[in-house]
Amino acid sequence: MGAPRWILHLDMDAFFAAVEQRDKPALRGLPVLIGHDGPRGVVATASYEARPYGCHSAQPMSIAKRRCPQAVVLPVDGQRYREVSQQMFAILDEFSPVVEPLSIDEAFLDLTGTQRSLGEPAEVARRLKDRIQSELKLTASIGLAPNKFLAKMGSDMNKPDGLVIINPQDIDRVLLPLPVSRLWGIGRVSAAHLEEMGIRTVGDLRQLSIERLQRYFGSDAERYYNLSRGIDERPVVPDQEAKSIGHEQTFPADLGDADDVRRVLFDQVQQVAYRLRKHGMMAKGVSVKIRFGDFQTISRSTTLHAATDLTTELWQAAREMFDRWPFQPVRLIGVTAERLNTGGESLELFPDPDRARQRKLDQLADHINEKFGKQTIRRGGADRTHGQR
Amino acid sequence: MKVICDRGALLESLNLVGGVVAARTPKPALQCVKITAAEAQLTLAGTDTEVALRLTSPRVDVQEPGEALVPAEKLRQIVSESQDPTLTIETEGDVTHVVAADSKFKVFGQPVGDFPPIPEIKGEADFEVPAGELHRIIAMTLFATARENSRYAINGVLIERDSNKLTVVATDGHRLAMAKGSCKAKKGEARNAIVPSKALNLLLRLFSDAEQVVMVQIAENQIHFSTEAAVLTSNLVEGNFPPYKDVIPKDGDKKATLATDVFISGVRRAALLTNEESKGVRMAFGKSGLVLSSRAPEMGEAEVRVELADYSGDELEIGFNPGYLLDALKVVDANDVLLEMKAANKPGVLRSGSNFLYVVMPVNLQ
Repeated sequence: MGAPRWILHLDMDAFFAAVEQRDKPALRGLPVLIGHDGPRGVVATASYEARPYGCHSAQPMSIAKRRCPQAVVLPVDGQRYREVSQQMFAILDEFSPVVEPLSIDEAFLDLTGTQRSLGEPAEVARRLKDRIQSELKLTASIGLAPNKFLAKMGSDMNKPDGLVIINPQDIDRVLLPLPVSRLWGIGRVSAAHLEEMGIRTVGDLRQLSIERLQRYFGSDAERYYNLSRGIDERPVVPDQEAKSIGHEQTFPADLGDADDVRRVLFDQVQQVAYRLRKHGMMAKGVSVKIRFGDFQTISRSTTLHAATDLTTELWQAAREMFDRWPFQPVRLIGVTAERLNTGGESLELFPDPDRARQRKLDQLADHINEKFGKQTIRRGGADRTHGQR
Repeated sequence: MKVICDRGALLESLNLVGGVVAARTPKPALQCVKITAAEAQLTLAGTDTEVALRLTSPRVDVQEPGEALVPAEKLRQIVSESQDPTLTIETEGDVTHVVAADSKFKVFGQPVGDFPPIPEIKGEADFEVPAGELHRIIAMTLFATARENSRYAINGVLIERDSNKLTVVATDGHRLAMAKGSCKAKKGEARNAIVPSKALNLLLRLFSDAEQVVMVQIAENQIHFSTEAAVLTSNLVEGNFPPYKDVIPKDGDKKATLATDVFISGVRRAALLTNEESKGVRMAFGKSGLVLSSRAPEMGEAEVRVELADYSGDELEIGFNPGYLLDALKVVDANDVLLEMKAANKPGVLRSGSNFLYVVMPVNLQ
């Protein structure tokens, strides 16, 4: 089976509520409920402060408010959460080439075979938590285990801000005492049915022969047989729909100087280009999104002559789009590399010596940044007046 | 002006001139065809200021000479939709009447003076070549031109003439097509020109008779192709054509001979399971034959076996963009092609006889 697998499951803690509490300091320490505050409203997220009162997600808002009348109720700010989610996935992308998003705030990462480039999986998991904390000012819970099922279980075992590592030799110790309802796919009905037969824990379930399981579960028997032994071969499937890599940023206040905005945009381009190269992708298109202080939002895209992963070519395209707009104070700026392919382009008949030089420069910058930390070196010259070299 | 025209012949001429006339332009005169009736001849001319075409429409009866500027597409539609075998075209000032047995069209044109002058040929031609030969070497290369490229002048086709030899080359930076032909020199000095693909696409449609002689003159910044009935003039593409001779490999030591139609069929089938993200087809060459394989994420995989008529050299796995191979195989008119290769990251060369050569860069296989 080759090297042992290491799968990481990351789940942000009370994501929507945590974003609101981060952005609105007055809410910190208070019970917060996110969701529509109406007769049919449902709680999307309850902050940890609200949970002791019996509030939880998917609960009717009316019940949650009855249990915790002092809770602050906020509507779902989907766009804001998606922005933060993008930033989170941008971080995840740096930690593994294989990231499977499960939802806006949850993902699997395959760390198998990344020891050489990234370090020991346990160390990587700690670094990932630190990065999320320092860069997003949010906490995540992580499970690290030999497969998806155990990793997801691990991330749930010590919430919030948890890190649970399940080594192969720990599997039985962790798994056997768990109630069967914790197994993926065993709902309340099946659990009740099993309990009637005296089967409460995963350990009990493991005693059953495959034949008996087949009698109870039919075609699902094999899956339960395997899960009760901590076996789950499902691969981490990267998001096939992810056809773009982007980065955007909302400023706390409008940015009134065009060069300041250009500098931010240039940083974003460098990060996007780095992620492209890291994933072995080339972009055929670039788009730039600008939201002005008056909340007018524009988005412009352009097609490149040839697919590229070079910082300088992506920057040129992004800068031209930005400069085409008469400048006014900017609230949000973002850049996205689009129409990606995995470099299935034919090689060049007449290689451009300048492109070769740029490629070397990018490789060098990537190498230094990987070795000494992100953005140890950056390119200068985002200002319009100085041109770009 | 008053002229009676054979509708079929006029439509054919208008279709050709319509290929030059600019579709979108702020100058109304450039959307027009200039019709001139003189000395029992009707001449149609159109230009987009880069390329100009002037041709004589046959089977006309000029009753009153004159000239007019008529919106080209509208006139073409009228002639195309009419039913009669003949049409009468009459002008008074800028207004043109197209009259048939059961219909009468009045079309507002533009002042004749607004039409840009169509360049005239001065002096002697550089060479002459049979239309069939010119058609062959252009059709074998034109498809390989680049649509947009900022670095080299490769948005056109390079035509090189050295004494009685013609060489035509086109490339888009990833593949290069070269065809050779012969001509009859009229001047001593060798000359080269890079001709925009629009002009050559039009040129290909112009010839109906392979034996017809085409006179070619290369001027400072223009090229003229002329026959008895037509003159096509084009501005040349400025700039340098890349050093194409340097990239034609001579050291391909793995040589496969394939039946053209079998190769086409194999590549087409393998191409079915490629997509935007994975354009390459993997080709494994060996003594036992060629195995083509492809994979498109979320779609599936293909494996196609193709017999080789002959293979010499070590086994090789190399990836190619199937579209690039098919483009060239489609213009080959021989039963067999020879493919020479060196390594997975080196260009392949497709040959058919001594007059056609196609260099194609491989795709990186992952």
